[in-house]
Amino acid sequence: MHMWHNKTGPVLVAAAGLLVAGLAACGSSGSSSGGQVSASAKQTIVFATQGLGSEGTATKTAVTAFEKLHPNIKVQILSLSPTSDVAFEQLTQRFTAGSSTPDVITSDVIWPAQFAQSGWLADLTKFHPNTSAFFPGQMATGQVKGGVYAIPWFINAEGLYYRTDLIKTPPTTTAQLFSDAVAAMKKDSKLKEGLAFEGDKYEGAVTAFQSMGGQISTSQLGNLNSSANNGVLTMMFDAISKYHIAPTAVSTWEESQVQNAWLSGQTPFALNWPYIFALSDGKGCMPSCAAVNGKTGWVPFPNPVGSPQASLGGDDLVVNAKSTHQAAAWEFIQYMSSNSAQIARAISAGDPPSVKSAYNSQLYAAAPYFKQEQAVFAAATPRPVTPVYTQISSQLQAMISSVLSGQSSASSALSGAAPTVKDLLSTVQSGG
Amino acid sequence: MTAKHEPVLPAGPTESAPQDGTAPLAVKPGSPASPDGPATTAHRAGGARVGGRQPRAASYSLAARDRRFGYGLVAPAVIVLLAITAFPLVYNIWNSFHHADYLFPTTFGTFAGVDNYKELFTAGLFVPSLYRTLGFTAVSVFVELVVGLALALALNRRFRGRALVRAAILIPWAVPTVVSGLLWKSMFDPQNGFVNFILLKLHLPLAHTTWLAQTWTAWGAILIADAWRNTPFMALLLLAGLQVIPNDVYEAAKIDGANALQTFWRLTLPMLKPALMVALIFRTLSSFLIFDVIYAMTNGGPGNSTQVLAYFNWFAMNGESNYGLGAAISVALMVMSLIIAYIYVTAFKTEQVV
Repeated sequence: MHMWHNKTGPVLVAAAGLLVAGLAACGSSGSSSGGQVSASAKQTIVFATQGLGSEGTATKTAVTAFEKLHPNIKVQILSLSPTSDVAFEQLTQRFTAGSSTPDVITSDVIWPAQFAQSGWLADLTKFHPNTSAFFPGQMATGQVKGGVYAIPWFINAEGLYYRTDLIKTPPTTTAQLFSDAVAAMKKDSKLKEGLAFEGDKYEGAVTAFQSMGGQISTSQLGNLNSSANNGVLTMMFDAISKYHIAPTAVSTWEESQVQNAWLSGQTPFALNWPYIFALSDGKGCMPSCAAVNGKTGWVPFPNPVGSPQASLGGDDLVVNAKSTHQAAAWEFIQYMSSNSAQIARAISAGDPPSVKSAYNSQLYAAAPYFKQEQAVFAAATPRPVTPVYTQISSQLQAMISSVLSGQSSASSALSGAAPTVKDLLSTVQSGG
Repeated sequence: MTAKHEPVLPAGPTESAPQDGTAPLAVKPGSPASPDGPATTAHRAGGARVGGRQPRAASYSLAARDRRFGYGLVAPAVIVLLAITAFPLVYNIWNSFHHADYLFPTTFGTFAGVDNYKELFTAGLFVPSLYRTLGFTAVSVFVELVVGLALALALNRRFRGRALVRAAILIPWAVPTVVSGLLWKSMFDPQNGFVNFILLKLHLPLAHTTWLAQTWTAWGAILIADAWRNTPFMALLLLAGLQVIPNDVYEAAKIDGANALQTFWRLTLPMLKPALMVALIFRTLSSFLIFDVIYAMTNGGPGNSTQVLAYFNWFAMNGESNYGLGAAISVALMVMSLIIAYIYVTAFKTEQVV
């Protein structure tokens, strides 16, 4: 036993030491952010992005065009998971490891505040971005800590689809929406429900709540338990249990179930994202969507207490704080958010441009529905821009889910979540 | 397989004495190794006498050299194991006593004392999650044990196509948990799902249930999905245990006039104990750590009513990037797992002596 300790012990200790040192080195590599490579030097940047199918093809086309314009910069695409939560984990793992790649990253609009707070993103103010070119709601998602940490790439907002053959004029109040839905269901036996929306316990419940009028901007969250929020939650619950225009199953529905309900023609109203347009209108229409082909209208969801607020989604482009190719990364971002690149992507992949000036005759000629989309995007309202968004969203998801499933009343769910949300906000304000 | 009924896994303290050169030192009076133990010593000492005057020391250093060589051989494996198990474990425990929340870069890495553990209880979700987890573990393990044992007993009998059935029941276990969770989620869909369709066709109640929208039906759905996947594993372990019970004890019982029930309670069950213990420990611990089925099916909803400890842990780590709090939950989970394992091992051991 003694022999073993004398001989092998130190070896084990040394091996463990090496291992720790190696891991520590991984953690601290890339801290040399001082050594920036100039934009004109020959270099390769890594672009981490989601997107399969036509979106992936559109990205490749854009990258090729960029490389032609900037022969000294090569862009290597790093594919992230198409599942948002998984992509988030992939990125945080890279960031926590202190990696200097990827240089440019596609980021969901709800992430930049948290990433910037953690010191993972480069402040792009030094490149003087033209912030007024973008829809203000989405631009705000990158404007945190007094800097600009994200540039909008393409916008997304949730609005109300309605069947133009069943609903003559789109509703402007929720009362009208509900009575239209009830009337339509009475008249047409093919309709299984009057209104489809996402009520499952996931991020979509929060966007649905906000699109229907929920007041959850950063400044409103201090008073989550407001009469306005009570009204919206009660309305969502009533749609299921009082007016029976939404099936009890909506409390387990996500976008795809809402999409199926809409495309199969079983509902006159559906709350969903703009991608539905391409599926239900014109050449994108699949054989099974005959019921809605050419009968699709899209407006902001009427707000019971104020002007409509279409919950904002979409993707931003951000730059890794540890990247040594920030100047080249900025060139790339500028190209990707240019008018021509945005219109090309909108036409080939259906991604709505984040740049306001891209909504022009060239775009409308290719896809007329972008005209209706523009009206919804103008009402786009960002979810709270705060580093603790993930935690707040989790509270809101549980709150909405418990009301939709009938576990608690709107007022008790709100009064239960309000103090926690307030505490969460104050932790970042005092600690950050 | 010999007629010995020793469990296949290491049985802890009752392990037999090592049979190498060190045996003489470990010999205890009455232990099975003792009859040939002294003989070995004599033989070795006799051989060593040629070289020197102190045979005992010579044989000791020879044994020590063997040992050293042996340890040298296992060293690479030990190092790899330390790297992939001991290091993360220690690092996790370290994290649990430090501020490791990426939202607060200024305090990151500073000593936190027991703050993270305190937060477990003030965050308000830990205690209810613990109760849910324990409740689910008790129910799911009980259901899987009963059904698994019934399956194992059935598969232990001879019948046509037994090999095929044995292979077939393993299929659910071969399906990744997340996949089976998603499959069950779609089968429990109230409009297009298979479950309600069958209930409706058979004119059974609950055909219009929105399973995942209510607390108890959601738990029921999770239990079914979990049991569907894990009962085969239980059955397989118990079947292995049944197969090592020699036939002659059953014949003896028959001659003594025992009926089927008596045979099961007084013979099969006691002799199945080692296998039962393995199966129960495995299933209890993995049920206690349940995550993927719930993640895939309900996300902890409706409300927070199906949120369990592992889900809470995942959210702290990956949702909040608060590795300190996440580590504290992990450590708490680990301690509770050890307690569960300890309870099982002691409970089964005392009974085995009798």
